[in-house]
Amino acid sequence: MFYHISLEHEILLHPRYFGPQLLDTVKQKLYTEVEGTCTGKYGFVIAVTTIDSIGAGLIQPGQGFVVYPVKYKAIVFRPFKGEVLDAIVTQVNKVGMFAQIGPLSCFISHHSIPTDMEFCPNVNPPCYKSKQEDNVIQEEDVIRLKIVGTRVDATGIFAIGTLMDDYLGLVTQ
Amino acid sequence: MADKTMPISVPSEKPLKVIKWKVKEGNKSEVKKFKALRSGTIVSIKVKEGDIVEPGGCIADLEQCRHPTVMKEMCAECGADLRSGESQKRDVAVVPMVHSVPELKVSEELAQKLGREDADRLLKDRKLVLLVDLDQTLVHTTNDNIPPNIKDVLHFFLRGPGNQGRWCHTRLRPKTHEFLESAAKNYELHVCTFGARQYAHAITELLDPQKKFFSHRILSRDECFDARTKSANLKALFPCGDNMVCIIDDREDVWRHASNLIQVRPYSFFQSTGDINAPPPLPEEKTKLLSGKNGSQVSKDNQMPTLDAEPEKENKEIIEKVNSDKKDSENGIIKDKKDDKMENDANEKVETPVWVESSEGQIEVDDPDDYLIYLDDILKRIHNHFYDIYDKMENSENEKSIPDLKYIIPEVKSQVLAGSSLVFSGLVPTHQRLETSRAYQVAKTLGAEVTQDFTDKTTHLVAMRAGTAKVNASKKLGEDKSKIHVVTPEWLWTCAERWERVEEKLYPLQRVGQSSLRRPPAHCNSPPPAPAVRKRTPSGRFMDTINPLLSFSSDDIADMDREVEDIFNESDESSSDDEEKVLGDNDEENITEDRLLSLESGNSAQERLQEKLNEDSNDSNTEDGERALKRPRPSTPSDDEGPPDDDDTSWNLMGAALEREFLAQD
Repeated sequence: MFYHISLEHEILLHPRYFGPQLLDTVKQKLYTEVEGTCTGKYGFVIAVTTIDSIGAGLIQPGQGFVVYPVKYKAIVFRPFKGEVLDAIVTQVNKVGMFAQIGPLSCFISHHSIPTDMEFCPNVNPPCYKSKQEDNVIQEEDVIRLKIVGTRVDATGIFAIGTLMDDYLGLVTQ
Repeated sequence: MADKTMPISVPSEKPLKVIKWKVKEGNKSEVKKFKALRSGTIVSIKVKEGDIVEPGGCIADLEQCRHPTVMKEMCAECGADLRSGESQKRDVAVVPMVHSVPELKVSEELAQKLGREDADRLLKDRKLVLLVDLDQTLVHTTNDNIPPNIKDVLHFFLRGPGNQGRWCHTRLRPKTHEFLESAAKNYELHVCTFGARQYAHAITELLDPQKKFFSHRILSRDECFDARTKSANLKALFPCGDNMVCIIDDREDVWRHASNLIQVRPYSFFQSTGDINAPPPLPEEKTKLLSGKNGSQVSKDNQMPTLDAEPEKENKEIIEKVNSDKKDSENGIIKDKKDDKMENDANEKVETPVWVESSEGQIEVDDPDDYLIYLDDILKRIHNHFYDIYDKMENSENEKSIPDLKYIIPEVKSQVLAGSSLVFSGLVPTHQRLETSRAYQVAKTLGAEVTQDFTDKTTHLVAMRAGTAKVNASKKLGEDKSKIHVVTPEWLWTCAERWERVEEKLYPLQRVGQSSLRRPPAHCNSPPPAPAVRKRTPSGRFMDTINPLLSFSSDDIADMDREVEDIFNESDESSSDDEEKVLGDNDEENITEDRLLSLESGNSAQERLQEKLNEDSNDSNTEDGERALKRPRPSTPSDDEGPPDDDDTSWNLMGAALEREFLAQD
């Protein structure tokens, strides 16, 4: 799920940047430091939308570095258990398949793929195929999956998905 | 398993009537809402539809998910987090079955099932499994600076930790694509390398851009259980046994001398670099290569204790690396000499890569390595032999059993010289027993008989030089029977390399001079196989053989944890100060390290130079000769270094004596 939330971040700036462009540097540094990162609590920071305030900088004694507390709003992506998402299949193997939902990787076990679909390792690329051969899932395909579990670490999120529910599986465009 | 099955009891206080069962026994896929506290599978239904059940009475048994597939400590079937809570659940799934994803583990049971499916499919397609090593088997990679315009060398950049990275320059062995194409018809190809994951994937991308040969079957160092051997992973990848697994690698030791290994002749293109990914992991090895006259190159690497690090004493010349020119440019005069020498070498040696600058500014390299043609042939023979035996077995009653390549490959190899009977002359030192010599073992694996003296059956005499008693005797015998071939040891080595009986006429014994290769080349020059000791774990469970830690009981592990914590608590106060100091010093250390590095690289260039001068007795000018005298050659392993190999001690001694003589002359 996507959220637009207020977040805070501290920017540590080297004294060489002290000058007329100082605040621009702080903003640039904020973009590079937070966009694309992942925190366990809020999920993936997709994009910074607005910078609300850059607080008073605090010079670090003995170093000369300055710390700016920055408040900003950002779009974040946080997957939840039970959420249904569209994903792109990245790898298919005998144990299951891996899919990518933007920055989030997801694994779908063979057990969670409908039983009529079988793994075919001999075709290139390998795929899961139903007996009538009308339903084929291979690399690069878009599938719709439901998240059944998430592993949230301090630095990343990993999800377990399933295709065993109504309207899940290959998305035909 | 029994404890995972829990009874479902009537939830209400009053008796209730079961009107309709919406689930069946063993039904897994459909989950109906019963307001159950946990999810799972109904294993048995205790009451019939229409029955009245007393409060607290059992109506069905519900089995919880056994978590047979686990990804990042999370069950991939029910999504349960296995990191928190009961730890005993964790050990169900232990087998990492997918090459490139070590975090994905499946239970032993499921692994067996998948392994069986794989084996059945392979048999149906009449294929076998081939594990392919990359470095020095199919490719040769260097990190050195090389001219950017060498033909057929691919360049790619590997991003390292942080912002740094390194350029890798890779040359594919000649005919690699044809080899893969041909091998893929009979074999399912897997990459099995000690390169880092990123490197392995980059090379595989170069070898197989359409992913039709290797797909995702890439095992790299990051997924290896053991930093020194690759054989540890076999059990996980092939849980039903490695009956159908064939291996090609240039190193025998990393597979613990498995009998299903075909040891290939190491491929060497960049003459300054050995195997950049050789275990134990070293970021950049400066390996020097020595070249015998017949072009088979022996990589000499002192850091590898298992590899025979004994240099050849006779008939060797160091080919200086072409690309060291930049580094050595300050030594202008000597560089010129080196270039001259390079040209000489290029003219003399037929089989080493020859570097020629073409008109378009591209350096064309004439690379005579044709080993993959023979290797392809060997693989075809093994495949045919396997399925011949399999077909015969299928006709007989026991259809289930699959022939084992661990026996078939030695069998195929032993047909090469079957029926031949060899006599060695000058190959084995007199004080050494024939049976312990490497040449004897090589000949034996090829199926030849070796005798101390001539017998009626003798077909070949392998002699180092003309004029020995046996050579003379063979001439006399030859007059009677005219069937004894007198050949040089290269004949034997070439047979061992190609797995075929090469034409004896190509390796005649020269009247004058000594045959060059007394010592076996790299591909048949490894320490004799250690007797296979197969340890059974006390429990005999399959999973214990993969990871020894798993055989500890949870109490044991808890004890260990406690011990470690105690130690940490004790040393906490004292260590915190030290840590700060280390952090403070960090910058300084880095600088000194950098300096050291630059110093080292300067040294190594000098060392190479000296070594070359040392070797080249004609060229050596007095000044350098003296310098070489003062400093022992860095790359020559001294006699007391490492455990003396039975096979090598005599050569070591002889070599040392030769060297003393040589240095005294200067």
